[in-house]
Amino acid sequence: MTVIHVENIKKTFGENKAVNDVSFDVENGRIFGLLGPNGAGKTTTIRMINNILVPDEGSITINGQIASPTTQKMIGYMPEERGLYKKMKVEEQLLYLTQLKGMTRKAAKEAIHYWLERFEASDWIKKEVGELSKGMSQKIQFIATIAHDPDIYIFDEPFSGLDPINSDMLKEIIIELKNNGKTILFSTHRMEQVEQMCDDICLFNKGKAVLQGNLREVKASFGKNTINLEFDGDGSFLDQLEGVRLNNRSTNFAEIRVLNGQNMQDILKLAMEHTEIHKFERIEPSLNEIFISTVGEDNLKAQQQEEA
Amino acid sequence: MDFSKILLVLKREYLTRAKSKSFILSTVLTPLVLIAFGALMFWIVSSDTETQKSVGVYDTTGLLVEDFIQADSTRYSDVSNLPVDTVRAMVLRKEIDAYLLLEEKHIETNESSELIYSSNLGLAFTGSVRSDLRQIIQEERLQRANVSDEIKELFSRRPTLNSRKLTEDGKEEDDKAGFMSGVGFVLGLLIFMGLFGYGAVLMRSVIEEKTNRIVEVITSSLKPIELLIGKVAGVCLLGFTQFAIWIVMYVGISLAAVPVAGLLMQDQISEMASSAEMEQVAAEAGFDPASLEVLSIDPMIFVYFFFFFVLGFFMYAALFAAVGSAVDSEQDTQQFMPILMIPLMLAYFLNTRIMVDPDSSLAVFASLFPLTSPINMITRIATTDVPIWQIGTSLVLLIGSFFGVMWVSAKIYRVGILMYGKKASFGDFAKWIRQS
Repeated sequence: MTVIHVENIKKTFGENKAVNDVSFDVENGRIFGLLGPNGAGKTTTIRMINNILVPDEGSITINGQIASPTTQKMIGYMPEERGLYKKMKVEEQLLYLTQLKGMTRKAAKEAIHYWLERFEASDWIKKEVGELSKGMSQKIQFIATIAHDPDIYIFDEPFSGLDPINSDMLKEIIIELKNNGKTILFSTHRMEQVEQMCDDICLFNKGKAVLQGNLREVKASFGKNTINLEFDGDGSFLDQLEGVRLNNRSTNFAEIRVLNGQNMQDILKLAMEHTEIHKFERIEPSLNEIFISTVGEDNLKAQQQEEA
Repeated sequence: MDFSKILLVLKREYLTRAKSKSFILSTVLTPLVLIAFGALMFWIVSSDTETQKSVGVYDTTGLLVEDFIQADSTRYSDVSNLPVDTVRAMVLRKEIDAYLLLEEKHIETNESSELIYSSNLGLAFTGSVRSDLRQIIQEERLQRANVSDEIKELFSRRPTLNSRKLTEDGKEEDDKAGFMSGVGFVLGLLIFMGLFGYGAVLMRSVIEEKTNRIVEVITSSLKPIELLIGKVAGVCLLGFTQFAIWIVMYVGISLAAVPVAGLLMQDQISEMASSAEMEQVAAEAGFDPASLEVLSIDPMIFVYFFFFFVLGFFMYAALFAAVGSAVDSEQDTQQFMPILMIPLMLAYFLNTRIMVDPDSSLAVFASLFPLTSPINMITRIATTDVPIWQIGTSLVLLIGSFFGVMWVSAKIYRVGILMYGKKASFGDFAKWIRQS
């Protein structure tokens, strides 16, 4: 069943086409990753799904309903730019935010106490958020996002700015929510997080969705065109290779994407001449590699230079 | 529009502000500051600012100088015997501050006498010399005309004017224009301070939500316009709370003060009881009960005050909120503040004219123009009988512009609250209004 249906949405700010004709579907009970570099249009898309912005064209439906104040209540949203009122006490603050999501005061109180206990945060209940440490207020932020028990969870760059403990905790929460049948959409520009967690992905670049689908299928469709090489010795022979792209290179490791259908055995021979091989494995490309080959390396470099 | 959400926002805005230290402090301190300011003003106005200056009288007629010296012997001295050049040198050396040249023609004709000085004497001082001069020359002229003492006496009497107001039901009322124009000015001042003070509170609150990065969390639960209305109403209610506390404080203090004042007054009266002045003092103190009526204020004025304050506040508050939404910190608001400051300051300055001349066409215009009417109309209502159509028009225009301003501000606000790290300009405002 489709939970979030995005169809041909466009959003322009002045001259800038932030989102240009994007469509995708998020299925029930799955973890959906929106990927892409900064400025690709992920946040704008997420804001439109949350009915914070309205698309210029196209439509968004949540559980079959057009995005509206009603659908807002079905979603727990943690924005990239997130924060809390510093001068408000933890409990008052959570009560306020969950009541805005349509909960009654009584139900809100119960939910808040349950989550505070789960996060071992019940002691902070009467403290002002300004007095809490950064890690503590991040936990409060999670509670504010999930306490009203919605069916859909949207996290925009959820791991940015999180300390490692909270980062792991959030991963656990996301997996737990999924196991409870909830639907999760999150955006990130860090590909490795997606590899670990996502069922489905949608790749954004310059306001367009350039690649989407089931993560495993997407990877499989690229074939085993990458070599995972571990060696001992002088790695400078790698520079002599032509028609390859080197990802993730270090002193005794390299991920070699083979282009133009070149024979992999030639690479192995060359490697054996110069070093002692510990491992030679044909694998599916990493998501990062998929992204690069989809968008085009030159394209990406030009883009990165623009940003810098 | 979801009113339960607006109510939640209102409640939060109101409660967190009302419990804050700054609210409690400003509630207590503002009346104290106002009292201190009033006392200071009273001291400045009532203090004898006239400094002692010396004037040499150079009287070629020899008839007037004695009168001057008689009038004020420390100020005036006779320099008629000295050569004019010496007198001029004395002025330059600051031995005397000025000299007054009097000739026969000043008595006979209407030619102006001259007061020659080297460093500025100040308006109050020259005015005082002028009035001495007028009186002395007039006496001399009467003397020469050989008029009887009776006529002289007639000249020295000053006719007085008592103005009384004829009311609708044909009765005359004691004039309270002086008192009411004071009330009008104070009410206008209260609205001015209210719009400014609470507008700034709201603006800071909007900026705070932006810098705390909570605004996006909130807008994922409600519409920006709901947030805006809730916040404006919350701060408005805060303003009323503060006004109410001040009124209670004022009434409480007056109630406590009356017996004390009465006691003091009694002491004074019994002290004077023996003196012959008693009767006169009693008359001057005005124990006539009618005089209390002069100080009563038509309660309708407070109803109007309420409406003009609320409408004016909502309109200006929307503007303050729009400015707050467009910036990342309070320092960045400066480039936008003139749009808010100019009409408010203008209305304040117009008020000083309107309280003395409430029916001039300028006053009528200012009390109809929506950016100044909240302040200027209440002053007019207190000071004069404003035709009901003018009050109606003023309210309608104010309500109309309130919706207009709210509509534009809400658009700026919607976009502004999600913008970070970019300094907005007026051009951006126009873009945002078109865009949303």
